[in-house]
Amino acid sequence: MTPQTEMLDKFAAERDTRKARRFDRHTVSAVVVFALCVLLILASRLVSPSLGSFQQVLTVMTLASFLVVLSFGQGLVILTGGLDLSLPALITLGGVLTTTWIGNGPGAWYLLPAVLAVCGGVGLATAIGIVWLKVPPFIMTMATSIIVASAALGLTNGTPRGASPEILLLLMKGSYLGVPAPVYFLVVFAVAGWIVQSRTVLGRYLYALGTNREAAQIAGVPVTLVSILPYVVSAVCAGFVGMMLVGYANGATLRMGDNYLLPSIAAVVIGGSSILGGSGNFAGTVGGAILLTTVGTVIAAIGLEQGLRTIIEGAIILVALLLLREELFERLRGLSAKVKSAG
Amino acid sequence: MTGPAISRPYRMARFQPRKLLASGAGVVFVLYVVLYAIYAALQPSALSSGTFTNLVNNSVPLAIAAAGETLVVLSRGFDLSVAGVISLTNVVMAVYPQQGPGGAVLSLLLCLAIGGAVGIVNGWLVAVLRLQAIAATLATMIVCQGLALLILDAPGGMVADWVSYELTDRLFGVVPVSGLFALAVALAWLFFKRTNLGIGLYAVGADEQAAALSGIPVRRVRFAAFVGAGMIYGLAGFMLSAQTATGNPNAGTPFLMLAFAAVALGGTSLSGGRGGLIGSILGAATLMLLQKVLFSGGVSSFYTGIFQGVVLVVAIVFGSAFASLTGRRTAA
Repeated sequence: MTPQTEMLDKFAAERDTRKARRFDRHTVSAVVVFALCVLLILASRLVSPSLGSFQQVLTVMTLASFLVVLSFGQGLVILTGGLDLSLPALITLGGVLTTTWIGNGPGAWYLLPAVLAVCGGVGLATAIGIVWLKVPPFIMTMATSIIVASAALGLTNGTPRGASPEILLLLMKGSYLGVPAPVYFLVVFAVAGWIVQSRTVLGRYLYALGTNREAAQIAGVPVTLVSILPYVVSAVCAGFVGMMLVGYANGATLRMGDNYLLPSIAAVVIGGSSILGGSGNFAGTVGGAILLTTVGTVIAAIGLEQGLRTIIEGAIILVALLLLREELFERLRGLSAKVKSAG
Repeated sequence: MTGPAISRPYRMARFQPRKLLASGAGVVFVLYVVLYAIYAALQPSALSSGTFTNLVNNSVPLAIAAAGETLVVLSRGFDLSVAGVISLTNVVMAVYPQQGPGGAVLSLLLCLAIGGAVGIVNGWLVAVLRLQAIAATLATMIVCQGLALLILDAPGGMVADWVSYELTDRLFGVVPVSGLFALAVALAWLFFKRTNLGIGLYAVGADEQAAALSGIPVRRVRFAAFVGAGMIYGLAGFMLSAQTATGNPNAGTPFLMLAFAAVALGGTSLSGGRGGLIGSILGAATLMLLQKVLFSGGVSSFYTGIFQGVVLVVAIVFGSAFASLTGRRTAA
């Protein structure tokens, strides 16, 4: 018995230190990103007096809710070492099905889940291609994207019709105690997403899979199931974003998802996750999504021409990437160690 | 460990029919021929040189863009800036047209310079600063899109007449001029592949650590891949401008996914180290031919994407099954 307890102690000690270090780096990332958001909103007051108010914070949060939901799915896929390029097509599918199947007619309570189930089914098909047919995720999700986009085009004959169901209007346009409903939703979703990713067995399986597939398999992770799940979740999230957009704009278009693919990847990466998988956390991703949205609204408010706005957007992604480089953390750690030893 | 990774391109370079068939380029070539036969059956005019020239003209910008992307993919990277460079060079061609053959050369050099400059930035960010390639090139793509919008904020402008007429014409009434540009890229690749840099490209993509240990300047190879790719995108933008004869600040956007699709269809592994430019060129040609075949088969253009997606997946699955089959045979 004694050697076993000794071993356990040893393992426990090792695990603790590793966890503490990993937690540290990603918490720092998340804090940096959130701090940038706050700074940017405060600084925007200098540009225009109408900016930088609490009202603007609420607007940013409302607009960011789409990207937060979307990048949760994208983040899970990236965590396992993949990439989901099918999100814009699935947003459009979710939106188009919502307006054409349901519209403002009856039956929303069972048809809305049905729409999500269709999206989940598409995600499952994508995952099957990746897991069993061994098509690389990049290509498989791209193929899904091309197929779904063209199916949505054919289904609607090029012009989607119909309006939003009542319940989505309530979710997206409602306001309680002076705060828009999507802001509550964002907070609840962010907390729930963080718990799923960082505090559940499933989340730990995903990290294990993204870090080292063989090791995960040997350690008893149900590899097939855990590889499939992120794509299904990601597709359902995208379908749901489609619904949210329908509620927000009271209608669907065939291009409604187009502008969300690159931001969904950027939000995850800016939030400190590695695009190669196995690291990162959802708090950082939420920060990344809010930062990108803040940048978008501030730039839009300044009233620059489209070209300059686009350049600034690209430059900010670049600056965020440079600030969040791994080496920078190493240097900071070295600096703090120096300060400690000096003191 | 490092031996096979370096010697592979040498062996690939020699003509070996069985291996050629097993490589992605062979599979996609067969696919192209089959599709062309179907096209000819559906549309008797498919065999005329006019129709063929049209097809080549349509395919060349994508084929060249995909060829550039392949350089980066081979070194185990991703380059999203392809869309940005094509948009940027397209608007430059439309807003600052240079007349005559001399002007065309000047424009071409300008396009190559623009692409090369973007490639230098990408190479610096990825190879020197070690940023994640997807994220860094996403940023440069967005910046290029912004620059394109600054130069031309809505579709318009006119590409020089000489460029838009001569480069879409036929040589001796048979050979499509635009096809010669794709051919030139392919020939340059066949030469480049045997240089130290070309071999380094495969080695870095196959196993970066092993490549570094065997003395390959990994950083320089990565950097060169991005710069070369950027210049080739510039050429793709030049050819696209000849094709459309007008400018559009979003001209490059459709190329982003299709370029990767063509690379994958052409048998280049997206995890690096395996494949080649010629497969990508054929892959791009196949994707464009598929559109024509579907159109002449009476399929609504709405549904073209469904077929493109299915063909892409099927080609990948067959290609890898084929490769593992013949791989086992050569090993035995």
